[in-house]
Amino acid sequence: MLELLTYPPVLRGFVVLMLSGITFPITGVYLLRMNLLPLRFMLMHGALLGGAIALAFQINPFWTTMAVNLILVWFMIRAARGLKADAGFISIFIMVAAIGLAFVFISLFDVQAKDTMGLLWGSIFTIDNKLAVGFAAIALLIVGFHFFRYRQLKAVFFDPVIAHSSGVNEKAIYNVVVLLTALTVAVAMKIIGALLIDAVIILPALIATLHAKSFKGVVAWASIWGGLFAFAGFFVSYWARIPASSAIALIATFVFIGIYFGKKIKK
Amino acid sequence: MEQSLIVKKGETIIFSSHGKWLYPLFELEDFLATNNVPVGELSLQDKIAGKAAAFLIVRLGFKNVHILLASEGAAEVFKRFGVHFSADKLVHRIQCKTEEIVQGNEPPDDVWQMLRRRAGRVSGVPVSISGLSYRIGKRQLLSKLDLFVNKGEHIFIKGQNGVGKTTLLKLILGLEKTVEGKIVVGDYRVGTKAWNKMRYITGYVQQESVKNNFPVTAREVVEIGLAAQKKSKLEMEHRTEISMRRTGCWHLADHSYHDLSGGEKQRVNIARCLCQQAKVLLFDEPTSYLDPAAKEELYEMLNELWANEAPTVIIVSHDDSWIDRFNWPVYELKNGSLCLNS
Repeated sequence: MLELLTYPPVLRGFVVLMLSGITFPITGVYLLRMNLLPLRFMLMHGALLGGAIALAFQINPFWTTMAVNLILVWFMIRAARGLKADAGFISIFIMVAAIGLAFVFISLFDVQAKDTMGLLWGSIFTIDNKLAVGFAAIALLIVGFHFFRYRQLKAVFFDPVIAHSSGVNEKAIYNVVVLLTALTVAVAMKIIGALLIDAVIILPALIATLHAKSFKGVVAWASIWGGLFAFAGFFVSYWARIPASSAIALIATFVFIGIYFGKKIKK
Repeated sequence: MEQSLIVKKGETIIFSSHGKWLYPLFELEDFLATNNVPVGELSLQDKIAGKAAAFLIVRLGFKNVHILLASEGAAEVFKRFGVHFSADKLVHRIQCKTEEIVQGNEPPDDVWQMLRRRAGRVSGVPVSISGLSYRIGKRQLLSKLDLFVNKGEHIFIKGQNGVGKTTLLKLILGLEKTVEGKIVVGDYRVGTKAWNKMRYITGYVQQESVKNNFPVTAREVVEIGLAAQKKSKLEMEHRTEISMRRTGCWHLADHSYHDLSGGEKQRVNIARCLCQQAKVLLFDEPTSYLDPAAKEELYEMLNELWANEAPTVIIVSHDDSWIDRFNWPVYELKNGSLCLNS
């Protein structure tokens, strides 16, 4: 099976998948802790809007999607703060607005809706060298931010009010976390597709919260599970002739069920 | 240099100091606490003693005292507390500000607390609020509110639900923006850039309520106190351990915070404030979710804090029976301003 890795696109896909598997669940921990789960749906719809714009104007869909999602997140942060409303609540509004706008572009520029929907599916084998470097940079950014701001993150995740009273700039940390998460979700769509994004980002973090006792433990285990799922998912997909994203999602789901019921039985 | 204070065990001098004013007595207090020396067997000789020094000597537990120059007020204090006292020279009063301030009939703990503040031996800093007004929508919550809490002082603020007690604490923390009026904590006006860098001097303990069950250990919660301070890993570990030992929760360090009882969580949160070296502690309804035993634990811990670090403490509570156990000033927040109740 290892001879597969002698093909450059496969090797590149494998490396990117492993990098994403190990580092992206860190942002999954952020998403879970900050109750930003609806953010993913907003970003998925943002991807459709980005895709529609890209196809309408014949520009690069990946970078357009990324730019659209970052703008949407920036708008969400501003609106949540200005209206003193829950960011999740605002993201639902933006999600609906984004899809409405996407259909305006599709209709006005005669874009094939099927082509736009195609952006919701990803593949690790379509990644070129430039994109692989981009993935590595984002992975580095996630790890760097986590390690250099670990203490502040821990404080904000425990309680933003306590973090503030400890001297942490909790608003800045929150903004960076949301932007970093948006960036991660946007690029993860490229490899696993929007609809299975939870398998790489959320499920490893969710499984880690089931058994880890500390924040440090949750992050470490989320990375370990993410790496294992990516590794196993890659080879299972080849062996069972199914997409890598589906293999990862199914393995993560089995592990989640196993640990969940294991804990129940233990109790 | 001539010794101003000498303490003997039999004929052996075990402590001496040539410091001025009341500082030798505070040095002696530290010496006795550090070396765990029983005071009963010791005799004390001081150069000059007025009422203030007499109160400190009484509080330290000395029963055998010789003063070279004592005031009549000091003699009365010694007599009142049954101390065997002799003096080379007795004068009507000594020339010292504290001789005027101390009446002579106060409890020794109150005098000690006041003198500690004057000697700068409290970790607390003053909190000064002037002309503070705050409204939510059309509702005027605080109206030209004034409050001064001296360094190391402890007060309660009570009032009915929704009168703005928690809002007042949030304004002191800088979580809500002050539109009208001024809040100064120590040397820093809340909301300024200088305060922003130093805002960890105000520690906050919220009422016990489970807001999330995200995995976090008690040690990690205490470490949050140092989240914004540049400290080495070794120093962080050291300060975390010291703070947790001080509040008696070191044995819980690796337990999940969410598995702790209400009282244990309060211990961990106070340890967090000690770890961040907060000079002002703000408590918001600290007994809300506590059973009687945990309330008693918190009472003892706060008294211990008062006796040692002496930070400035502001407690918002409506638990009258618990408040009554403390001999602290109680303010009531009513119609947007504070009035001293007792």
